[in-house]
Order: sequence, then C-alpha cells, then structure tokens
Amino acid sequence: MSSMDNMPRASKSDLARRWYVPQEIESIRSYYPLVLIVALLSVGLSLMRANEDAIYSSTSILLVHVVVLVLLRQLDHGSKNIRDGALAISGIGLFLSILHHLDGPSLWIDIWFTAWAAVPFVLVLAAGSMPMVTLWVSGRLTVKAAELGLRKNKMMAMKHSHALHHLILFHAVAAVALPLLWILDVALSPGNALGGGFMDEITGEHFEKLISSESFWLWTRNSFIVSIGTTLLGLALAIPAGYAFSRFRFRGRDSAMFAFLLVQMFPGVIILVPYFLVMKALGLLNTSLGLILAYSVTALPLCVWMLKGFFDTVPRELEEAALVDGCSQTQVFWRIVLPLSLPAVAVTALFSFLAAWNEFLLALTFNTSEEMYTLPVGLASLISSTGQAWGDFAAASLLVSLPVVVLFIAFQRFLIEGLSAGGVKG
Amino acid sequence: MVNVTYRRVTKRYENGFTAVDGLNLEIEDGEFLVLLGPSGCGKSTTLRMLAGLEEVTEGDVMIGNARVNDLPPGARGIGMVFQSYALYPHMTIADNLSFGLRMLKGDDRPEDDEIQWRVGETADLLGITAELEKKPKQLSGGQRQRVALGRALIKKPKVLLMDEPLSNLDAELRQQMRVEIRRLHDELGMTTVYVTHDQIEAMTLADRIAVLNEGVLQQHGPPMDVYRNPVNPFIEGFLCAHLNDIVETANELFGGEEE
Repeated sequence: MSSMDNMPRASKSDLARRWYVPQEIESIRSYYPLVLIVALLSVGLSLMRANEDAIYSSTSILLVHVVVLVLLRQLDHGSKNIRDGALAISGIGLFLSILHHLDGPSLWIDIWFTAWAAVPFVLVLAAGSMPMVTLWVSGRLTVKAAELGLRKNKMMAMKHSHALHHLILFHAVAAVALPLLWILDVALSPGNALGGGFMDEITGEHFEKLISSESFWLWTRNSFIVSIGTTLLGLALAIPAGYAFSRFRFRGRDSAMFAFLLVQMFPGVIILVPYFLVMKALGLLNTSLGLILAYSVTALPLCVWMLKGFFDTVPRELEEAALVDGCSQTQVFWRIVLPLSLPAVAVTALFSFLAAWNEFLLALTFNTSEEMYTLPVGLASLISSTGQAWGDFAAASLLVSLPVVVLFIAFQRFLIEGLSAGGVKG
Repeated sequence: MVNVTYRRVTKRYENGFTAVDGLNLEIEDGEFLVLLGPSGCGKSTTLRMLAGLEEVTEGDVMIGNARVNDLPPGARGIGMVFQSYALYPHMTIADNLSFGLRMLKGDDRPEDDEIQWRVGETADLLGITAELEKKPKQLSGGQRQRVALGRALIKKPKVLLMDEPLSNLDAELRQQMRVEIRRLHDELGMTTVYVTHDQIEAMTLADRIAVLNEGVLQQHGPPMDVYRNPVNPFIEGFLCAHLNDIVETANELFGGEEE
C-alpha cells in the first residue's frame, strides 16, 4: 500500500464509478416513501373494516415493501447478491399483492390499493434487471459506461420526476373529477335511483323536468336577487372601510380590525339563533332583503381585510401626485385608487357572490315558505322523507354550478392581472 | 412669476419629533434653489410643506404674496416630480400628462383641443412624442422620468418642486437628465426647488444651495460661496471635505497624464 501513497487518491475512473448510481435505482428509492404511506393506509383500512384476511395480507405487503426498500438502499457498486435478493423478494411481494386482491371485496378503493401495492414491485423487478444496473451491481462497470451513465442520468431524472408529478396530479384530478362524473351519471340516468352502470342509459328527462318546472326558475331568481344584492351591498360597505383602514390612522383602528377577525372565529351556528330573532323582530323573515343583510354582514370582515391588503400596496406617492394634479381626496379615491384596485374588487365581489350563492343554513332557517327558497334550499327539498328525486337533484346541482363556472371564467383575467405593477419605478 | 418664502416654519410630528425647526428662507422669482443635506435632515419635509402634502405646525409658507398653509396642493400653482415618478399605471402617457389639466374646474379647464395641443407641446419639449400611447410600464426609467417632468410642467406651474428626481437613474442617464433639467429651467424660467443628498448634483444645478442638518438650516448661498466659506464644521465635513475627496481621487487617477 505504501507504494500507492504517491498516487492521486482517486483516479478518474474511480471517481466516475464511485459517483455513478443508475437513475432507475435513485428514482425508485425516492418514490418509495410514498409507497410505504399508501401501504400503511391500506393496513389502516383493513383494520377499520375488521377484515382479518385483509389485515394479514396488507400487513405482510407493508413488511415486504420495507424489506425491499432496505435492500434498495444497500445497493452499491458490486453488490450483486443484494440485488438478486431484492428481485426475489419483490417477486414474492407481487404474488402477495395478487392474493390480497383475491381475498377482499373489489371496490374501486381496493383496486386502487392493489395497484399501489403491486406496481412498485413490478418497477423494482424491471429496474433491477436493466443491463446497466446488472453491470453496476456485478462490479463490471467500465469507466466509459459509468461516464455515459452519468450523462444519461440527468435526462432520465427529468423524465422520472415528470412521471411522478403526473401521478400525483392524476390523483388530484381524480379526486375532483370523480364526484362530478358521478353526478353527471345520475343526472343523465333515467329514474331517480342511485347506482347502476356508468352511462349505460342516457336521458335528458331530469333537465327537461327542471327547465319546465316553475319552482326551479323561482328559486333561481331568488338566488340571483340575494347573491347580487349581497355583492353590491358588501362592496359598498367593504370598499370604504378597507380604504379607511389602509390609509387613515384613527382612534380604535387596531381594535376594530381585530374585532373583525374575532367575529370570524365563531362557528356560524352560534349566530344562527340571534340572527333569527333579529330578523323576526325586523319583520325580515321570508324576504330576500333579510338574507342580503345577513350575508353581506357575514362576508364583510374577510372582504374588508382583503381590500385593505390591496389598498396597502397602492403607493402613497401616486395619491400625492394626484393631489398635486388638483384632485380632492374623494377624486383621488375614485380616479386613481379604485381603478388600480379593480382586480382586488373583482375578487372580493366574486367571493361575496359565491358565499351567498352557496349558503344553505341561514337560507333554510329564515325563508321557510317555498316561494322564497334559494337554490340550495330548493335543491335540498327535492330529497325529503316523502320522495328522493336523486336524478332531479343531480341535474339541478349541475345547473346551479353553471353561473359559478361562468363567473370564474369571466373574472379569470382580473384574478391574475396585476394592474399596479410598473407605475412606480421598475 | 413668483418668489417663495418660509417664515419661521416648524414641522413637529405627533410623536414629538421635530423634522424642521424654525426655517427662514426666501427663494427668489426664477431662482433654482437646491435643498441639500443627509438623509433625515428635513429637506424632503420642507419641500412637502411647500407642496401641501404635509401640514405646517408653526410659521407661514408663502408663494408670491399669498399665505398657502391651508390651501390644498392642487390650488398652489405648483408642479411636482416625485422620486418614484408616481406615474398613473392605468393611464396612457398622454392621459398621464393631461390629467392635471383635465382636473381643472370651470373656466380654468382648457378646451379638449387646447389640452391635446399642450400634451403635444410638452411631449416635444421632452422628446417623448413617440411614447404617448404607451402605458408607463412599457417605458424605460429615463423615459418615465421625462414623463414625470412633463406632467409637472404641462400646467405651466409658477413653482416646480423636485424630490430627488434622479436617484433612480443610472450614472450616465443621471448626468444627461441633470443637464436637461437645468436647460428646461433656463428656458421656462420658473422658480425651482430641488431636493437632493448628492453634493455634485447640488453644486452643478443650483443658483443657490441651502444646506440642512437635523431640521436646521445651516447655510445658504451660491454653491461656490458656500464651498469657499463654510460657516461651521458640519458644512466643512458634509460639503467641502466630500468635494475635496472627489477632486483628490480624480487627481490621483488622472494627475500623471496631465503633467
């Protein structure tokens, strides 16, 4: 060894070989924690269902996953036996997964769990037997091959991380889309029952029934009156309040802003009874005005805070420039601050509208006569103890969502546009 | 045209901090006065009291023979250039320029043709005719600076106020705009008050400089007079020593070549 002392500690070849880990192995290692979490969930589900067979098989799958991960982490240049062990155990895991699936009920969720149990084993089997990996673990990797591998790793890392992102996004999309698809299916199926195959029979009868029914249009009208009224009243109150909080320093300013937040912290049910008594005393039960008042007051704190935050970002020098240009304080607000704050005002308006459009509890409590129902209350009345019109309900839900979708598309421009950028330097 | 007078002017904030203390200063008709001093010396506050953006605690601010303490900014016949330019982001350059004219009331408000003509004239004066239909964010820093100047000049103000207008520009543009500002002043002849912390800017631009420190006026006079006859150690340190440093550095760098 002493004769080696004068040599450079690591030759170029050693460096390349020491730093090279095939991307297939790296990717599986970093993707495995996710696999373990899902396997753990699967065990939890079996426990909750108290399905004994499933408990055993899902637990053993979890254990096999752990063993495979440990072996994968041990893999290194020249560890062929460990690789072979990992392949063999993955094979066993794959077999167990299939058994587990045959054991349990075959709901969507079980198929999903099986896929999450089996696919990682397949990936380990496939990646582990790649020619580059075999060369690597058997210690026969040439310098040239290691350098080539390092170069290929970057490309592969990108592809693999894309695949992982798409996998996660796919789950997010499924979580959002599946309920929608389900409702679409119910709305387009004949009869008023739930269940049946997906889209096996298609009919527009529920939509036709709704469109020709008077009460649906009445409820829609009520909802629009209440929501638009809430938006207008809410903005009329929130814009001046937000501006005052942002620009003026006055006694009680801080405590007033804190009180606004405090009100938000109570659950809505607590104020239900007091609200009811107030509305009764004012004679506003079974009116649109009652709901408009209640909604705009409830939405006010958040609207004021949102607008205050935006007004804070409008530079004070802009207002001063307008003052020098001959504006009064009011004109400064209308001609400079408000036009610049349109995106924030639009978002606030959207928020108030949606809150009023979707609200259920207050509407149910205040407006008890059928011709004063808003859409959410009307929809709920389709499902009662006397008859469950699920088909009508689903069709109505879709129709009710339409204005919301339209609003979001219309306001999208405002949501992303920063009008204020660039007026003051840079 | 008019002169500007500060008579025993004091600015005290609610927390007791005195920003400007008993300022007496007269600025003559058509004069270019530079308020010079380190950060926090009260020079900006002095300017903003003249603009009407800060209340005057004690004393009188006079434009011409009128006491303007209680007049709103728009009524004082001033134009102002801000450090950040403060162009209205949602308006085109033409609208930015004409905004002040359009806000005039009654008989003072020019006809639309007249407004358009004045916009064209001002844009010509500053070389921004090609930018009139653009929004501020499409302009470079130097162009924005010109628009800000144009917006202050279009109403033909009796007094032009500038609050560190060049501090956001790079060195070359700053040099260029400095020459331009002086040229505009000589051409249009309005009384000008200019705030800066930059000694070179003050020395090259001013008819007269007024040096402030901690809210108190230290000395005022033509730049070279102040430089040659500093009245106290602060002026010596802040103005004279600083300028001598620059001269010395320049000599060290280039002295050999001149020999």
